[in-house]
Amino acid sequence: MEDKYVYHVEDLDFAYGKHKVLDKISFTIAPGRITTLIGANGCGKSTLFYLLTKNLRPDGGALMFRGRELGSIRLRDFAKEAAIVHQYNVAPADISVEKLVGYGRSPYHSMGRTKDPDIDEEKIRWAMETTNVFKYRDRPMGELSGGQKQRVWLAMALAQDTKILFLDEPTTYLDIRYQLQILKLTRRLNREFGITVIMVLHDLNQALYYSDEILAMKDGKITAQGAPGEVVTEQVLKEVYEVDLRLGEMDGKPFLLPV
Amino acid sequence: MKSTKRKVLSFALTIAGLVLLFLLAVNTGGLKVGFRELLEGLFVSYNENVATIYDLRFPRIFIAMLGGAALAVSGVLLQAVMKNPLADPGIIGISSGASLTAVFMTAFFPSLYFITPMFAFLGGIAACIIVYSLSWKEGLQPLRMILVGVAVNAVFTGLMSAFNSATGSEYSGAASIVNANISLKTWDDVQMLVGYVAAGLILAVLVLRLCNLLALEDRTVRSLGVDVTGARTGVSLIAVMLASISTAVIGTISFLALIVPHIARILVGSDHKVLIPYSAVLGAFVLLLADTVGRVVAAPYEISSSVILSCVGGPFFIFLLRRAQKTYGG
Repeated sequence: MEDKYVYHVEDLDFAYGKHKVLDKISFTIAPGRITTLIGANGCGKSTLFYLLTKNLRPDGGALMFRGRELGSIRLRDFAKEAAIVHQYNVAPADISVEKLVGYGRSPYHSMGRTKDPDIDEEKIRWAMETTNVFKYRDRPMGELSGGQKQRVWLAMALAQDTKILFLDEPTTYLDIRYQLQILKLTRRLNREFGITVIMVLHDLNQALYYSDEILAMKDGKITAQGAPGEVVTEQVLKEVYEVDLRLGEMDGKPFLLPV
Repeated sequence: MKSTKRKVLSFALTIAGLVLLFLLAVNTGGLKVGFRELLEGLFVSYNENVATIYDLRFPRIFIAMLGGAALAVSGVLLQAVMKNPLADPGIIGISSGASLTAVFMTAFFPSLYFITPMFAFLGGIAACIIVYSLSWKEGLQPLRMILVGVAVNAVFTGLMSAFNSATGSEYSGAASIVNANISLKTWDDVQMLVGYVAAGLILAVLVLRLCNLLALEDRTVRSLGVDVTGARTGVSLIAVMLASISTAVIGTISFLALIVPHIARILVGSDHKVLIPYSAVLGAFVLLLADTVGRVVAAPYEISSSVILSCVGGPFFIFLLRRAQKTYGG
């Protein structure tokens, strides 16, 4: 049964031992949009991110991915549907950019052999060009700056050729210039190539500006879901972060005075 | 990325060095023959000196080379699995687990000689399981694993020495494993080793892509559709197999599996496609060198290759660590 949603979650429960992290949460994620999870530290957004990406298994409830139980999908098949850029990444200092991006083709290989080298090459090249790392494809990772490295990791995920892209705090450790570079690139991937983006962001203003949909969490529950302009209000923010925050408006989108 | 030229040059020089060393080793000792005489004696006509060399020196030379290759590749695989450049089957107790079972088998069931490596393999797996399970805490903790490994190694080594002393070293085969002595090896040992080592090396080549992927963060590897735990288990098994079979024949040798991959990484880089075959060649070279030096340095007495490697390997390793931090960091 094909579902019109990418994710269809009902009564999802998760606990670390006795410590309950997610408490019967239900939501859906529509395709073709940028959805951002926000919430205070420890609200469960990282746990939810890991559940959605098969890094954790739910304790209860239904977690449907495109109409199928996520747990029943093989890791390798999932890797052809969704690519994930995790927050923290390491690579050998001497590996070339092109080689690392090429690892993104792994889900399509069997026994280390590629089925179609031409498609591999085309996707790797596209991924490197789109993320603007093509010009240093022969350079070793150890010689790149933080912003360049992050774009390479993004390129590796793009080489997986998936319709869904997960980003876990993709702007952490980067200065503002590279943060914007990554976010603009993310938006371009969504608008131009129709890639569904699901991400966790710490910076609220960036979340408000670049997202089509906000999923606000608090204490293992979802407090609000919807377009930033509709659901993010001063009351919601007070509830989620337990501080008074003031919202303004710019370009028809809310923005936050970080004071 | 290391340049292709550098990789090719490293390969060529090491292979040339190995060939030279082989000829030197053949001609080191009481008997000496010319190169021409050697070739004629081997392939054309019977020559008593050459026949003696063929029976006595050739086996130990081949065993040193096979064992060195197996140990070096085992080190590369373990280091990939544990993301830890300090992983060494000798240091974390896998070799001593393997040799303990090999010692028991040799002592009590000498007729099962040809399957000793299989039992050594079981011993190595047991040691590996003990080390993994004791150092598992939300994933493999590298430092914890080394500490647990050192303790496990001490226990197995102690048990082995105790067995050896308690039996008055009367089981010479067992004693030779304990002392890592390869002086009394025959063509039978070569025959046994060659099959197992070849199988292990072929398996190692089959998983080289996995080894490359394991250098990334576990979560990232999973996101590429690879079952990290399964990959770790498979690669570990191959590493344990290679370490165990070489231990069963030549005994416990520490540091080789640590030093050789280190030097190899500096010379040919971290891509396992090159690193695994190169480490095999370099490992063969290093163990043969240690064995040959051990034969020469205090002649007519012999110093075992494991002792040579410990004396040279310890300080060399410290030196390498200091130098290689840049190459290996991150």
